[in-house]
Amino acid sequence: MHTYLQIIKGTIEEYTTYRVSFILWRVRLVVQLLVVYFMWWAILAGHQELFGYTQGAMLTYVLFSSFVRPFVMGTRTQEVGELIRSGNLSNYLVRPMRFLGFCASRDIADKLLNVIFAVSEIIVLYVLLRPQLFIQTSAVVILLSFVALVMGMVLFFYFSLLISYLGFWTPDVWAPRFLSFVFAEFFTGALFPLDILSAPLYLVSQSLPFYYFIYFPLKVYLGQLSSMAMLQGFLIGIVWTAGLWALERIAWSRGLRAYTAEGK
Amino acid sequence: MSMFMRYVRIWWMLTVSSFMISLVSRFNAGVFFVGKFLRFLFFLIFLLTVFSRTETLAGYTVNQMVFFYLSFSLVDTIAQLFFREVYRFRSLIVSGDFDFALIKPMNPLLRVLVGGADPLDLGMLPLYIAAVIYTGGRLGDVSWVNVVFYFILLINGLIISTGFHILVLALGILATEVDHAIMIFRDVVSMGRIPMDVYHEPLRTTMTFVIPVGVMMTFPAKALMGLLSPWMVIFSIALGLLFFVLCLKAWHYALFQYSSASS
Repeated sequence: MHTYLQIIKGTIEEYTTYRVSFILWRVRLVVQLLVVYFMWWAILAGHQELFGYTQGAMLTYVLFSSFVRPFVMGTRTQEVGELIRSGNLSNYLVRPMRFLGFCASRDIADKLLNVIFAVSEIIVLYVLLRPQLFIQTSAVVILLSFVALVMGMVLFFYFSLLISYLGFWTPDVWAPRFLSFVFAEFFTGALFPLDILSAPLYLVSQSLPFYYFIYFPLKVYLGQLSSMAMLQGFLIGIVWTAGLWALERIAWSRGLRAYTAEGK
Repeated sequence: MSMFMRYVRIWWMLTVSSFMISLVSRFNAGVFFVGKFLRFLFFLIFLLTVFSRTETLAGYTVNQMVFFYLSFSLVDTIAQLFFREVYRFRSLIVSGDFDFALIKPMNPLLRVLVGGADPLDLGMLPLYIAAVIYTGGRLGDVSWVNVVFYFILLINGLIISTGFHILVLALGILATEVDHAIMIFRDVVSMGRIPMDVYHEPLRTTMTFVIPVGVMMTFPAKALMGLLSPWMVIFSIALGLLFFVLCLKAWHYALFQYSSASS
């Protein structure tokens, strides 16, 4: 446990060493939020309600998605593909620790920083923009939102690792990741709530794991899902998580057999 | 003139090399190309979804809004096609390899700005050009003067985009940071996917004239629709040139600060 705590500490120090880079990383996340926020603010102007969302509900969705997005999708696992490709993975395999634990610790550090800074940024933005926000008062719903958030986080962790593991079989690790970014940008609901899409596209989005990264936790928070839809969402999310976990285990063990430390 | 032709030849050689490197892996190139197409398609679907519930947005029809998005995609893709090397600049600074660009008998800015064109963006261009012509033809009566203004302001947009990329390079030298800076630029520029008139004040004026994203991305389309006066076209060109000169000054300042610390 001490080893993994040290990895978390080391990762945080790594982030704060390059201060300009760190500041620009935070600026970038705020800019990303503002771009989507201002766009929706403009679209909703003159509408009491659009796609079944009031201005307050939509702006709450957009503002909170900026918190959920880095929390769920903030990761360092994209480095794994490069470690495999360059052969540097060998350095980690000989260390007295589990590689999965190493990756998880790096991600925890990333998410810790994200949460600390995202909360303060959202408070500042709230004070500056004064949007009408929907505040959930039911403790049960808040708890369920948190569970959905953790589920999305675990799901994304395995999803991202699997893409990096492609490095065991191909040196082209960036192209599949870029494609996954493109799909994630659209089907996670980071830009808009997925239920505004046409019925066939919404159905497609529900069958993908991206649905559970941002959209599902936020819909649970907004209290816009029926008990049945919520139960169904959690069940499918758990199936996805178990499926991706199993796939990750298989890919890791088969990948290690294919791994030749090429480049070292 | 001979100096210009010399640089054109150098650029051509660098571009051919860059294309060959990018196309070594057909799988990689294919997946990136599909990704770029899907990214374009997904935002288009989003726009059409929004318009499925509203007739106009800030007075613009769905055709006009799609045309704004296509013009944005055109400028954005041409900029990425030429300036892809900027995305790789940080490693040159951190490793000290930028020294090799400095000692060569050519302008180092040319090497780090346009030294690595991206063939995948070239592949997307015919699609955008065809879509711009098709959608432009459905906008109604468009005069030849407005078409000329459109092309002039497209070039002006590219000049402003060049300025932004030079600014990122300057920041790369001063703070060894490029990756986040270039992505911030892309996020900010993405606001130009829809006309600035849609946004509220003071954001609208700021994004149009202070950070000239509006002039760069949305003014060409507005000119074609006849929504810009000739004076505004002249003002936009002056603003674009002024911005470019200021960015060049920032580059020269940064170059003097370069200490080759890592080499």
